[in-house]
Amino acid sequence: MAVTLPPGLSQQASRKGAAQNGLARSRAGGRILRTATAAALAVWFVLPLLPLGLWVFADRWSYPAPLPQHWGLDNVESALARGAATGFAGSLGLGLMVSAVATPLGVLAARSLAFHPSRWSAAVSALLFAPLALPAFVAVFGLNVLLVRLQVPSTAGVVLVLTAYALPYTTYVMRLAYAAHHIGFEEEACTLGATRGQVLFRVQLPLIAPALARAAFLAFLVGWTDYLVTLLVGGGSLVTVPLLVASAASGTGNDGIVAVLSLIALVPPLALLLLMGMTGRRHRGGRT
Amino acid sequence: MRQGLELQGLSKSFRGAPAPALDEVSLSLAPGSCTAVLGPSGSGKSTLLRTVAGLEIPDRGSVLLNGQDLAAVRPERRGMVMVFQRPLLFPHLNVRDNVAFPATIRGVPRRRARTDAESYLELVHMKGTGKRAVTDLSGGQQQRVAIARGLAARPAVLLLDEPFNALDPELRSAMHDLLAHVRKKLHPTILMVTHDHDEAAAVADRIALLHAGRLLQHDPIDALYTRPATLQVSRLMGGTNEIPGTVKDGMHYSVLGAHALPADQQWPDGPATLIIRQEHLLLVPNHSSGSLAVVTGLRSRGPRRLITVTAAGVDLHAEVTPSHALSIGDSVRVQLPTAALAAVGADTAPDTPPLTSPDWKVLA
Repeated sequence: MAVTLPPGLSQQASRKGAAQNGLARSRAGGRILRTATAAALAVWFVLPLLPLGLWVFADRWSYPAPLPQHWGLDNVESALARGAATGFAGSLGLGLMVSAVATPLGVLAARSLAFHPSRWSAAVSALLFAPLALPAFVAVFGLNVLLVRLQVPSTAGVVLVLTAYALPYTTYVMRLAYAAHHIGFEEEACTLGATRGQVLFRVQLPLIAPALARAAFLAFLVGWTDYLVTLLVGGGSLVTVPLLVASAASGTGNDGIVAVLSLIALVPPLALLLLMGMTGRRHRGGRT
Repeated sequence: MRQGLELQGLSKSFRGAPAPALDEVSLSLAPGSCTAVLGPSGSGKSTLLRTVAGLEIPDRGSVLLNGQDLAAVRPERRGMVMVFQRPLLFPHLNVRDNVAFPATIRGVPRRRARTDAESYLELVHMKGTGKRAVTDLSGGQQQRVAIARGLAARPAVLLLDEPFNALDPELRSAMHDLLAHVRKKLHPTILMVTHDHDEAAAVADRIALLHAGRLLQHDPIDALYTRPATLQVSRLMGGTNEIPGTVKDGMHYSVLGAHALPADQQWPDGPATLIIRQEHLLLVPNHSSGSLAVVTGLRSRGPRRLITVTAAGVDLHAEVTPSHALSIGDSVRVQLPTAALAAVGADTAPDTPPLTSPDWKVLA
């Protein structure tokens, strides 16, 4: 027999049901604390960007005015005149190149570490992670001389050194992915009739794709954000956004230009992050 | 040309392992038959299957399918599909595309591959689940889909590596029914690894018993239980009754007296151990005929009871229904029905130590 409950009652019952899991139940104090923490974090992340955003469109903003006195695009024009477009292209190219080299190398290293463990595995892991322990400044000063003597083109030298710095990240991310990856998937595909190429492209790559994207993103960031290696090894032949930001920031009265360049530096990583988040969600649990 | 799957002297050793994983295993499977490879953990069962599939390369020996040596044939070209203990459904594909996978990689147009996949899903009673994500399925459902995917590759030989191990008993027996259904419909040759005697008996025609990489016996299921080739086979199949004695002219002589052996087989004269399954040993009231024995142990096993009796200094075990109202110290008579008897020669030195008490785990 169906019982019709007054609306208030049924709502209460459903709310009770939702909070039946003791660990998931939220208490009033906890809820307030959680909201406050989230808000504080948001402020901490966003607040520094606020003056940056204002500076981009501030033709004149002098102390102690709380907001710019004149709005306009002068800063954007100045930044472009200083080579923002070239710098953007340079950074993008560098990030993509480092990513293109370090990601496959990381995949190979991780695969070897995951599926063919030997007594050298620990030593190899340590070696791959060594660049993280070594300050870039120290490494680059020594390498700089070597690269010049070997007559390695400066751009190639930058990519080479940055790849070494990106490898720990790509290897680590892929190593984690392969730890969760079962070699049985590939064996199964193989007995189902898939050739080596089909196993790679139709099973292995789709399975590791999310990790591959993460690894490539991290490697891209290494290239995108680098200042020291580009400056010392590149010797000025390669202009990137961080170089432009640094040179603008070292002068006075360039706050607006620095703001424009900094925002330019933010756009590609944020865009890639959003893209990864969106595609990652779509593919989960099988395509339909 | 010989039809079916034939393994000839397969040997395989792994680096660092003290003993070979496979030691001269020869086995012959008729087309459409189902053979269970049975053996304790580490006996080389999975290695055998992987070697047949081409996932491991044997040190010696060969695998022949319908007379063709497969040594130079890569796993994907062997026409053999392996279904593992883990369903290993591809998580980036939905249920239907998983089953359609073998067809699509062979270049079958996607639409036809998907239609085909639906019919295989129907075969494993998973109709209507095609569009679901594989992660939404339960363990049993996933294994059904894995079997459908394997069958969709239209293999000549289906290799099953403990495929139902992770399932609960109820689901297991449903999967056994499913396998019987698949056999009736598609007649694949099946080689299945299991360590479960009951499962082997439920799904297979024959059992290949493996121990320490060696094939001990390959025979129909009944024969492994009632006519073990060696004492070791008897023990591995859970047999617990061993009566030492001598065979002469088809009769076994021991402390329990003379027992006629089944007449359908020649029994070589000489020292031999009389074997009878605990299920076949009869305990009868004291006033009947048979060897006099005293009950020395009782153990409940759900619907059955395991009773240990001592007759003329020999410990014997009988599996009976609880209706036998027996208690320790009771006197009974033991009868050994001729049809259930077998004798194995003493010259076959067993690797496994003699049992001092029944292996309860095996009996369970």
